[in-house]
Amino acid sequence: MLDFTEASLKRVLTRYNVALEKALTPEEAAEEIYPKDELIYPIAKAIFEGEEDDVIEGLQAAIDAGKDPIALIDDALMVGMGVVIRLYDEGVIFLPNVMMSADAMLEGIEYCKENSGAAPKTKGTIVCHVAEGDVHDIGKNIVTALLRANGYNVVDLGRDVPSEEVLAAVKKEKPLMLTGTALMTTTMYAFKDVNDKLLENGVKIPFVCGGGAVNQDFVSQFTLGIYGEEAADAPKIADAILAGTTDVAELREKFHKH
Amino acid sequence: MAAKRYTSMAYASADEMTFGVAKYPVKAGLGLEIGAGYTIPEVNYAPRPEAGASKEKLVREYERITTDIMERMVQVGFPAVILETEHVQQMSNNPSWGAEVAHAQKTIMEKYHDEYGIKCALRHTIGDIRENREFMQLRGDKYSVFLEAFEECAKAGADLLSVESMGGKEIFDYAILRNDIAGMLYAIGCLGSIDMEMVWTDISNIAKKTGTVSAGDTDCAQANTAMFIGGGLLNKNLAHTIAVLARAISAPRSLVAYESGAVGPGKDCGYENVIIKAITGMPMTTEGKTSTCAHSDVMGNLIMECCDCWSNESVEYHGEFGGTTVQCWAESLAYDCALMNTALETKNDKVLRDLLMLSDRYRDPQAYVLAYDNAYRVGQAIVKDGENIYLRAKNAAVECCNIVSEGAAGKLELSRFETNALADAKAALDALPDDMDKFMDDCLTKYKSEVKVFLPENYGL
Repeated sequence: MLDFTEASLKRVLTRYNVALEKALTPEEAAEEIYPKDELIYPIAKAIFEGEEDDVIEGLQAAIDAGKDPIALIDDALMVGMGVVIRLYDEGVIFLPNVMMSADAMLEGIEYCKENSGAAPKTKGTIVCHVAEGDVHDIGKNIVTALLRANGYNVVDLGRDVPSEEVLAAVKKEKPLMLTGTALMTTTMYAFKDVNDKLLENGVKIPFVCGGGAVNQDFVSQFTLGIYGEEAADAPKIADAILAGTTDVAELREKFHKH
Repeated sequence: MAAKRYTSMAYASADEMTFGVAKYPVKAGLGLEIGAGYTIPEVNYAPRPEAGASKEKLVREYERITTDIMERMVQVGFPAVILETEHVQQMSNNPSWGAEVAHAQKTIMEKYHDEYGIKCALRHTIGDIRENREFMQLRGDKYSVFLEAFEECAKAGADLLSVESMGGKEIFDYAILRNDIAGMLYAIGCLGSIDMEMVWTDISNIAKKTGTVSAGDTDCAQANTAMFIGGGLLNKNLAHTIAVLARAISAPRSLVAYESGAVGPGKDCGYENVIIKAITGMPMTTEGKTSTCAHSDVMGNLIMECCDCWSNESVEYHGEFGGTTVQCWAESLAYDCALMNTALETKNDKVLRDLLMLSDRYRDPQAYVLAYDNAYRVGQAIVKDGENIYLRAKNAAVECCNIVSEGAAGKLELSRFETNALADAKAALDALPDDMDKFMDDCLTKYKSEVKVFLPENYGL
């Protein structure tokens, strides 16, 4: 069978992911940025490792030592998740690690709520949905996990959501932004319908759309549309809105890549 | 009819396989014989979104698409073409819509066949509409509409019947985002295979009844989801060593179609089709460098190595500088086929096959495993325990790990992340039982509690 020599192979292709790999292992990189507090450290580490039982154990130890359960959400769980998100953004860890960490974080938040009875404060509410007629929701599930991991309260409307239902949820929740995902060109037309219904009702919030066959040109056609190419763009857009960039044109300028 | 499991390979060695030649060619449509010594472009397209507004608009859109493709084929002198219509949901949910589209397309194709003698066939890929907003409903009310869509399209002019069925997807979507290898095996290898047997037994009966071809499935819903999440070399969403495991496990799942009466050509986006061709000897469609209109991949040349039909996956119908999109992509596909057919006619097919394969062999672990020699090995691992859907899927996964490890000891470069993910996957596979009943029971308990949209009754469990 034909084959390359080592030298000839290099003239045909380059595995840039190998060539550019970071020197630190994910564990080493995480270790460098964990909080040093002896009660918080094990919780943050357990979040990074996605170990739900260890998260609960760490939270219990911190509560026993006098920490306020609700304060632990921000001071321990979100700090641990911050380590995960930072390393994901830097390309040190991959999405499944984030998903497992997010599962552990959500379990931790529930535990804190149970032990306090109070409701935690979030960075803000975001409504997420999959376009009407579309039942493919893995993209939406990634978006909601990343938003929650970044401290947002997510109202997940699920898949195949009628425009009227999206409008009703937006009116009720008054979110920072709305997200819509679709796999197919034939269902992404529902985004325009949602956009029009929002405008008819005087609601002007950023409507971040992405997924499958959705593209920037299409999303730019409707007034509130902002294209999110990657699921990881969603929390970045939300952060920008929270920081005061609410104008659709400005958000497009900042986040449209093409 | 119970599935007739494969326990041996169609080819005595990997080197026997090449493009354009299948051990069991398939006659279809207007003068075509697929896998009989020549490759055929298979053009796939999607209507513009606004065309779905009414049946009339949709039929008219497909008439334009069909005419454009047939016209370009004869203008540039290509001898054969397959058109694949992947249903938009309206066409499968309303079988009469799909049937009218099939009839309109076939009428145009017949005209070109009669006038120019161009050999052609029409594939209709029915949408897997078996779910509602909350849950998959694989055996519920929608199943009869789903089957009706096949029958109506077959009666109206479709020659090749296909689907991208979704059995197991609810578990897979959960598992793939958590590096859960057992979950991937359960979803694709077990639940997917169970559903495939039901679906393909029924589709094959419809094909028999209507004199059409039961062509085959693809694990688009799962293995391609893994490939797309994996993305390019710099994407950080999934290790490519995990994505290729999903692919290896998808082969025994997609094989079930051929064990339940399908005869090929397997559907384009089944990158597992090279493994399936090695096992069944049936013709296969693949897609790669000429499907960049739909998605990127890391094996664009390699995946052409043993194809019988060569596809562009899908392109939205609209204008380009060189004509409409379907004309441009049809022409590109047909030129690729002309090159392969020239290689076949001049007995240079194995040279071209090996050039295509080698140009991507070390680009990525996914490509490495699908290089025809390695794909053949995965096939051997599957048929070794061909009667047991769990064990053969596990064998495929284990052999896939072995192949990547061997490659990494040579010229296949892996990142540390890919290497670690592979080691974790291997350890997870080693920890699995050999007993299918135990595996199924364990998974049923676990995923019933962890995945709220999982309904075991969808699989008769």
